[in-house]
Amino acid sequence: MRVLVCLKQILDPDVPARDFEIDPAAKAAKRGGANLVTNIFCENAIETALQFREAAGDVKVTALCYGESSAEDCLRKAMAMTVDEACLVEREGNTNPDAAAVGQVLAAAISRLEQDGGPFDAVLVGRESGDWGTGQTGGVLAEELGRPALGFVESLSPGNGGITLRRQTDVGIEVAEAEPPFVVTITNNEDNVPRIPKTRDVMMSYRKPLQKVSLADLGLDGDEIRNGFSSFEVEEIFVPTDEVDCELAEGDTLDERVDQLARKIHEVVASIG
Amino acid sequence: MDPTQATREVFWNIQYTWLVYVLMVPTLAVFGWGFWLKIRRWRAGQPAVRFDRLGERFQLFLRNAVGQGRTIKSRYAGLFHSLVYTGFIVLFLATTVVAIHHDTPLHIMKGHFYLIFQSLIVDIFGLFVLVGAALAAVRRWVSKPAKLVYTDEASWILVSIFVMALTGFIVEGWRIAVTDDVWAAWSPVGNLFARASDPLMSDAAMQTGHVVIWWFHLLVAFGFIAWVPFSKMSHVFTAPLNIFTANLDGYGGSLKAIDFETAERFGINHLGDFTWKDLLDFDACTECGRCTDVCPANTVGKSLSPRDIILDLQALMHERGDSVLANGNGNGSGNGDAALLPIIDQKTAVSPEALFSCTTCAACMEACPVHIEQLPKIVDARRYLVMEEAEFPEGMMDMMNSLESRQHPFAGTQFSRVDWTEGLDIDVMADMDDPAEAEVLMWVGCGGALVERNRNTVRATAKLLKKAGVKFAILGREESCSGDPARRVGNEFLFEMLAKGNVETLDRYGVRKVVTSCPHCFNSFRNEYPQFGGSYEVYHHTQFLDQLVGSGKLPANGPGAQAGNGETITFHDPCYLGRHNGEYDAPRNLLAQVGGARQVEMHRSRNTSFCCGGGGGMAFVDEPPDQRVNQERAQEAVDTGADVVAVGCPFCATMLDDGVNARRGERDVKVKDVAELLWDAVGETEETGEAAS
Repeated sequence: MRVLVCLKQILDPDVPARDFEIDPAAKAAKRGGANLVTNIFCENAIETALQFREAAGDVKVTALCYGESSAEDCLRKAMAMTVDEACLVEREGNTNPDAAAVGQVLAAAISRLEQDGGPFDAVLVGRESGDWGTGQTGGVLAEELGRPALGFVESLSPGNGGITLRRQTDVGIEVAEAEPPFVVTITNNEDNVPRIPKTRDVMMSYRKPLQKVSLADLGLDGDEIRNGFSSFEVEEIFVPTDEVDCELAEGDTLDERVDQLARKIHEVVASIG
Repeated sequence: MDPTQATREVFWNIQYTWLVYVLMVPTLAVFGWGFWLKIRRWRAGQPAVRFDRLGERFQLFLRNAVGQGRTIKSRYAGLFHSLVYTGFIVLFLATTVVAIHHDTPLHIMKGHFYLIFQSLIVDIFGLFVLVGAALAAVRRWVSKPAKLVYTDEASWILVSIFVMALTGFIVEGWRIAVTDDVWAAWSPVGNLFARASDPLMSDAAMQTGHVVIWWFHLLVAFGFIAWVPFSKMSHVFTAPLNIFTANLDGYGGSLKAIDFETAERFGINHLGDFTWKDLLDFDACTECGRCTDVCPANTVGKSLSPRDIILDLQALMHERGDSVLANGNGNGSGNGDAALLPIIDQKTAVSPEALFSCTTCAACMEACPVHIEQLPKIVDARRYLVMEEAEFPEGMMDMMNSLESRQHPFAGTQFSRVDWTEGLDIDVMADMDDPAEAEVLMWVGCGGALVERNRNTVRATAKLLKKAGVKFAILGREESCSGDPARRVGNEFLFEMLAKGNVETLDRYGVRKVVTSCPHCFNSFRNEYPQFGGSYEVYHHTQFLDQLVGSGKLPANGPGAQAGNGETITFHDPCYLGRHNGEYDAPRNLLAQVGGARQVEMHRSRNTSFCCGGGGGMAFVDEPPDQRVNQERAQEAVDTGADVVAVGCPFCATMLDDGVNARRGERDVKVKDVAELLWDAVGETEETGEAAS
């Protein structure tokens, strides 16, 4: 069996608030002193795939990323976590393609990988990214591939003929039997915390081959991807500011202060209307 | 009675004396064979350079082997050990004198030498052995401290020593009584036995008894000698050798780098991967238990026991080591499976749980009378677990993840590396036209910049440096973790990456002098970065500030000169400043500058200081509520009655803050860094426009 995990490299979401800045012209976050990391749900997806491989046996796990050359780090880390092979679709320039474009690119790359190495039984995508958080890539990718999709999956295990999926819902855990091929989005739970790679695997990850392809290699028009597929446009982007206006209720006694406070609440409520 | 003719007959009353020489042959053969086995085992270990710097080694040998420097630090045990130790040496010399007198033409056992040394002094030291053994017996069978290991072997050793000394006096006494020895007064203890026996026994009975006891004494002594290499009495030889071959570089430099390109395994989980010195360590242990007695993790009830780690490894080496070491030739190249005998075992003292509760405080190594190196072995086993098995506590995992992706261990911090400089106008190397203008790099450290309660410490340090006119700069966002927590938990790979990165950054700016307020960074820079090509003049902030005060650049009589307010201060020695690097005085000198304050010492201070619980990556691990090292230490600080617990380390500060808050009761006890207290005392400065807080 073959399992594919899609990864996204994002700006470290744990960057201290004061270090986070927006570039209003580019309508994007500034890199600043922040580091680039693998989106956490994507790491959960890697861990889920590896655990499935450990349970099912003969499974080959492939990692795929559409990103800048720096995203090679994410794929190396995935290989250190013992993903079998990795492929980077090189993104040129500092663009923020939307889910429609990303889905298009990933689908093309998956087709290419499947031509070379056979079909993927399961494609795993993180639930959402820690930067834009639109949560659409999984669905769009499934549509592009023409495969069924399930969201909020927390584990895969070998089932009767198919693959058993556990997914989180508002009312509890839903267990589904799925027949490959399919696409799932992975959410986190206490069992798919990404593993720390063994040092020897970290060292080996730099010796494993990493396939790199360009949009042109996939038969895609780079300009079209960058410009043509956007289903929406970012109007403005800013860091919300908390404005706190603090006023202390005055008065000599507690009763007076409570009165004062009640009166103030009335005023505020009345002003909001 | 001519004292120049005084002597006694060797082998008085003894026939078949040739039997002594016959018995000596198997005795010495077994003795030699036993040590040959040991030496063969050690030689199968990996190489280690421990016969260099002979001058220093000889000094250490004189101080701590011959001089028993560390043994006597424990009063009671030190006393009885000294009695037995000196007694045995003198009795051995006396036996040698007898041998020379009897078996060579040099008849030296006569005259004043016979009376003063061979009779009086030998009697006194023989009594030492008797008394020493009795005191040891009281400890082993009456007071029974928990740190001891209660084995039959230890009991038999004690009984044998006592019996040898006692029978020696009995035969001497009966000889004196039967021969009416005119020099009896020179052998006071033997004479006492003679006087006591005289009214009770006939001469004939004493003469017969003398023969029996004499042979019994000889058999016990010869049996004891043959037994030495197979019991913990082998420490008579292994301990001095272990002290002679001890690590001379201090605890701070005791961890070795790994060559990741060539290493077959990372860390140690196999007997065959230890060096010969490690294997010698196992054989040198005297089971005294002082290491476990001072271990912070053990004190609060955790399973870590440095003594049991050494003894379990010793047992493994004795029971199964010969085939491993001999066949495997120590490097796994020979009889592969045997050489891979694992040492980490859930069922022994070398369990992952125990290994991961070590704070790397080095109290065990400081307490060990024979210089066994427990800490590097614990870290080597951690290295195996972390790098080969990826097995470690959750808190350490978060810390390492953060180090990997953010180069600092404090995941979720709300501060950047430069936030603390607000309003202080501090130069950042990258923004300077000529970074060489900065004479000193102030290495802030993650614990100083990113943890809220420590930002005051680094602010105070920076303000003090400014006031003293020191030209310094920081690296700002270019600073990253020194790697200390990674190295202590066993992630040598991560440590090496961080260390190399920092050396590269510092070399790019031509940094020569580094001042840091974190003893962990201090230790890494000072003792560990030279392994990666980084050699700097490194100071802990207390050392540097102490120099500034000493040279008059920091006047201590500022507006806050009486900032002490009559308060009592107790200083908590950080392990990585004190034990690991030997600095105890600088912080205390600075506290003496805080006018109006009084210093008190905790019971465990200076080189016997008790860890705050934060070292070795433990600051990132959630300890069980009833096993918190920081609370144990905080209680000790609170019990001194001090108003202020002074610290010199950001980890100690946070650990003791938590601990003191849990243990201070109704009393107001503050935890403050020495730099903060000094700034209060030095007072406001025009340069920064900031008043003392």
